[in-house]
Amino acid sequence: MMETSPLFWLIALPLLATPLVYLSGHLAQTVTRRETVNGRVARDVALAALLACWLPFTWAARELAHISAAHTDALTFGWGGLALRLDGLSLLLTVVALGLGTLVAFYSGPYLAADRGQEKYYAMLVAIVGIMIALGCAADLFNLWVWFEAMAVASYLLVAFYHEQPTSLEAGVKYLVQSAVGSILVLLGIGLVLAHTATLDLQEIRAFVATQGALSPMLLAAGALFLIGFGVKVALVPLHTWLPDAHSQAPSGISAMLSGVVIEAGLVALLRSLGPLTAVAGTATAWAVLLACFGVLNMLVGNLLALRQTQVKRMLAYSSLVHVGYMLVGVSVALFTGTAVGAAGGLFHLFNHALMKGLAFLAAGALLYTLHLAVGDHNPLTVNDLAGAARRYPLAALTLSLALLSLGGLPPFAGFMSKWQIFVAGFQAHNGWVAALVIFAALNSVLSLAYYAPLVNSLYRLKSSELVWAGKPMPRTMSVALALLALPVVAIGFWPGLMRWLTEPAGLALMALFGK
Amino acid sequence: MATWLMWMTIGVPWLGALLVWRLGDERPNAQHHAAAVFSLLAGGTALALLPFVGETAVSRIPVGGVFGDFTLVADGLGVFLAIVATVVGSLAVIFSGAYMHGAAQLGRYYALVLLFIGAMAGLVLAGGFLLLFFFWEITALCSYALISFHNDDPKAVSGGVKALIMTQVGGVGLLGLALLAYGYLSSYEINTFLAQAHTLPAAVLSIAAFGALAAAAAKSAQVPFQTWLPDAMEAPSPVSALIHAATMVNAGVYLLARLYPAFAAVPGWKTAVLTVGLLSALLAAFMALTAHDLKRALAYSTVSQLGYMVYAVGVGGVFASQFHLLSHAVFKALLFLSAGAVIHAVGTRDMRQMGGLGAMMPFVRAVFLAGALALAGLPLANGFFSKELVLEEGLHHGPLWAYVGMLLGAGLTALYTLRMVAMVFYGETAVTRRVHDASPRMQLPLGVLTFGSLTTWLLAGPFTRLLAQTLPYHALKEMTTLEMAVEILTAPATALALLVIGLGLSAWLLRHRLHRWQRPLHPLAQAAVQSFGFERINQQLTVGTKGAAAVLSRTQTGQLNWNVAAIVGALLLVLVVLSWIVGWLVG
Amino acid sequence: MTLLNIGLIGVLGLLGVGFYGLLTSRNLIKVIIALQILAKAAVLALLVAGNASGQIGLGQSVAITVIVADTIVAVIGMALAIQVRRQMHTLDVVELARLRG
Repeated sequence: MMETSPLFWLIALPLLATPLVYLSGHLAQTVTRRETVNGRVARDVALAALLACWLPFTWAARELAHISAAHTDALTFGWGGLALRLDGLSLLLTVVALGLGTLVAFYSGPYLAADRGQEKYYAMLVAIVGIMIALGCAADLFNLWVWFEAMAVASYLLVAFYHEQPTSLEAGVKYLVQSAVGSILVLLGIGLVLAHTATLDLQEIRAFVATQGALSPMLLAAGALFLIGFGVKVALVPLHTWLPDAHSQAPSGISAMLSGVVIEAGLVALLRSLGPLTAVAGTATAWAVLLACFGVLNMLVGNLLALRQTQVKRMLAYSSLVHVGYMLVGVSVALFTGTAVGAAGGLFHLFNHALMKGLAFLAAGALLYTLHLAVGDHNPLTVNDLAGAARRYPLAALTLSLALLSLGGLPPFAGFMSKWQIFVAGFQAHNGWVAALVIFAALNSVLSLAYYAPLVNSLYRLKSSELVWAGKPMPRTMSVALALLALPVVAIGFWPGLMRWLTEPAGLALMALFGK
Repeated sequence: MATWLMWMTIGVPWLGALLVWRLGDERPNAQHHAAAVFSLLAGGTALALLPFVGETAVSRIPVGGVFGDFTLVADGLGVFLAIVATVVGSLAVIFSGAYMHGAAQLGRYYALVLLFIGAMAGLVLAGGFLLLFFFWEITALCSYALISFHNDDPKAVSGGVKALIMTQVGGVGLLGLALLAYGYLSSYEINTFLAQAHTLPAAVLSIAAFGALAAAAAKSAQVPFQTWLPDAMEAPSPVSALIHAATMVNAGVYLLARLYPAFAAVPGWKTAVLTVGLLSALLAAFMALTAHDLKRALAYSTVSQLGYMVYAVGVGGVFASQFHLLSHAVFKALLFLSAGAVIHAVGTRDMRQMGGLGAMMPFVRAVFLAGALALAGLPLANGFFSKELVLEEGLHHGPLWAYVGMLLGAGLTALYTLRMVAMVFYGETAVTRRVHDASPRMQLPLGVLTFGSLTTWLLAGPFTRLLAQTLPYHALKEMTTLEMAVEILTAPATALALLVIGLGLSAWLLRHRLHRWQRPLHPLAQAAVQSFGFERINQQLTVGTKGAAAVLSRTQTGQLNWNVAAIVGALLLVLVVLSWIVGWLVG
Repeated sequence: MTLLNIGLIGVLGLLGVGFYGLLTSRNLIKVIIALQILAKAAVLALLVAGNASGQIGLGQSVAITVIVADTIVAVIGMALAIQVRRQMHTLDVVELARLRG
């Protein structure tokens, strides 16, 4: 059973590799007594482990496609308290986590070359990938919480990686406390569900809820607790306050992971837990309205705050709030209309956001590295530092520009297409309020260009800043990682059908969660 | 064959963009030549589409899901505008070879120009709303990037970002239209929309119609969105000629003309369209009259002339609007390029620091005069015929008050055109440096455009046939060139218009004697200098947004206790709101 | 006064104390202690819920896992606190606000 399940290997491989990565790095240093060897060895082992994960992934994806033509069935795996189901939604999260994780492991080599404790970094990176895959597959609330908490723990360590920098420590502390509060709210919600339904299995909860005609205040309260508890990790406004700190202070590879996958994993957890509860006697619309309200808040507040930022990574962090808003709009529309177009659109945007925000953070990180870190200073990267960067670092400047324009929703880039799908779903509702929501979202997209565009302009100035001329050359591995990530951003922009095999089943799986 | 040609018209310049960019800035000559070759090739493929127009080739690539099909349609209107885009594009690129000589970052410049040419061809050939919007936004992106090509100049950067944001705000209207079309008809095809628009609920169609108007007004720099175009003049002159005079700004007029059959019956729509056109034509003409910057004066004149085209659509003269579009594309590209030659030689854009250049730049003066002739609408230039046609449509099919306004506009146009010519080429010179006439490489495109300005009206006959045969929903009537010329030359309206134009010209010549009229007109001139308050609205919106951001930023204290309080507060709020919504839904 | 009610009162009381601590404490150690009190409230809530629904075993096994997980979080929190004290020579969370806006 165990050895024949691709799902088992998909999760076990990275988790088993975690201690291996740490030990190999540690041992290599002890044996050779050389300073930098730990990072190289740990990175190679981590990369090998993550690349190996693509085998069970392919296997799982094929098997999933095989068992379910309609894409609503799932691969299951259970062992003791472990209960996992791999459906379309899990598959999407797996692709994102594994894809970005692999690239980040590849990219981080030169970035961290001068830092101590690299073996811990790579071990945690591999661990968090495995944890997020498992989180996406959780079949009951207990598994969901455990994997969610594990993800949080791994990310605390990664955020505070520069534990001698006061700002990193501050970000780590705030992240830990706020995230822990959220996690406790989730537990209280689980308590309420358990007390009311006598089960934690998500499918059983849905079945239970479906038989109940009456409205249960306890389940509504549980839903609210899930929304706020997981919402801390998803960075719903006003629970977002930790995010700009953590995402800007972490090493750039981790910023990419946090913005590109971790908050999205939180969203998946939120939707999985909330899904069965939306079936409570006609409350689907109420939840849709609530999600839409958070979507509106996230887009507006995220944009306005991003508008004021002079630090590049902090601006990108605020922009993540905005994009969570778009995903919420897609999901909310799907919940409201009961059709999968919006769900698939929101999840398509999730996928694209991982690409474009990952690319933006990695490109900004590459410049942060060459201009600041490589010359030994830990100051943040500001917009002014980047003046004229294109003349010395053409690839980083180009890929950062592509990522920013894609985030701003301009064609021919990926962000345009997924926003389009969300908007189409909204207008298919034939409802004035939903249409107004879509128009609001579109106007926010325009507003976001007010901070993306000047950054692009700054990159292509002819007069370069002194920092640019004093900067170190760009390592080749970084360039390769940036190019690899930029390619799909453009390809999807030209051919939006490219990811339909992934996003449509994911959308259907999400609708199945909602019981639609 | 036609299918391939359509995709090539878009693909060839895009391929060229990639190639010129990869060539690297160390080889400027290769870049100049490659860019010219690829833009000419695109012009060739667009022209090669002409023989196929009659059969209206359609290329449909299914993408699936909510993305429908990517469709290109080679009908008369699309091919005509694709030819304008690629041919004027080639001339602008050839001109750039001289104008941008020795400039840095040529790769970026040419790549963006070629990307723009392809996108513009795509915009007009697109057969579905998704693809139309796709190319619409790419042209906006290129326009922004080229306006702020000189990124070190803060004015260029702010001009570019302003253009991007303002056209995008209006573009939301087109987005709404596209989404409504798909939401109700499950198809993005424009022809499906034209055929079935009447089946849509009246309110929906009305929203779609005004959405189209908003998008068109933003793209074509019409009231109330006109303020971005003057600021876009920070772009290199060939870009101004290509994007901000001859092609992209026409996209709005194109959209209105293309969708006219669907919206003509929407209550109030035609009146709104012609009012927008009228206001733009008049207000911008006043502003052109007070401008001192040569390129800004030309930009106001572009807004004003685009107003004529929008007005023409509003009174139902779809052909007249497109005919004036053709004339304007040619003569305004000519004016901008020759202005570019002047600026290149003199080193300033301020007309007060020019004067008397005619003697030093006879070639440029000659071609500028040809363009000015067309702009003022004087006989035998292409602008004369097309403007008269617009005015005649207005007289016969539109309200009289609007016609009178447009007639006044014609007079003002003549006045500011003459003012421009006089300030730049005649009188005493304020120029101290040695000035050269246009180089041969500049003379070639200028010569071609001069020829065009004097002759494109001869194409009227074939052009009406092209449109009438391939636009099944527009119900246009065919007409030979001779018929059109005779009709215009014999119409009493033409005599009236020429009289007004003559008054405008004499107003400049007799300006010293009309001295006592200047005082009462002073407040008007002041208002024109301040763009009639529209710029103030923009500023207040910007200030308001920044203010809101500043207030919001103060709530982000970074204090841990405060952050936790936000979590607790949000939980309580959600509980309250949830019980409220559920109570409302159930009860 | 059933056992269940006593349990519920306990949960609410612990939540009150915990949130009060989180909202008012300026000392980072106290903040972490407050977090731990909240975690204990959650553990108690799970036990109560297990009992109330007749799933005693399920409630208990979840509760034990939560205890383990929260201990890990507390350890990391304390480790961060030590670093904060070393690098910034303070444990006052009000001074821990360089990142804002």
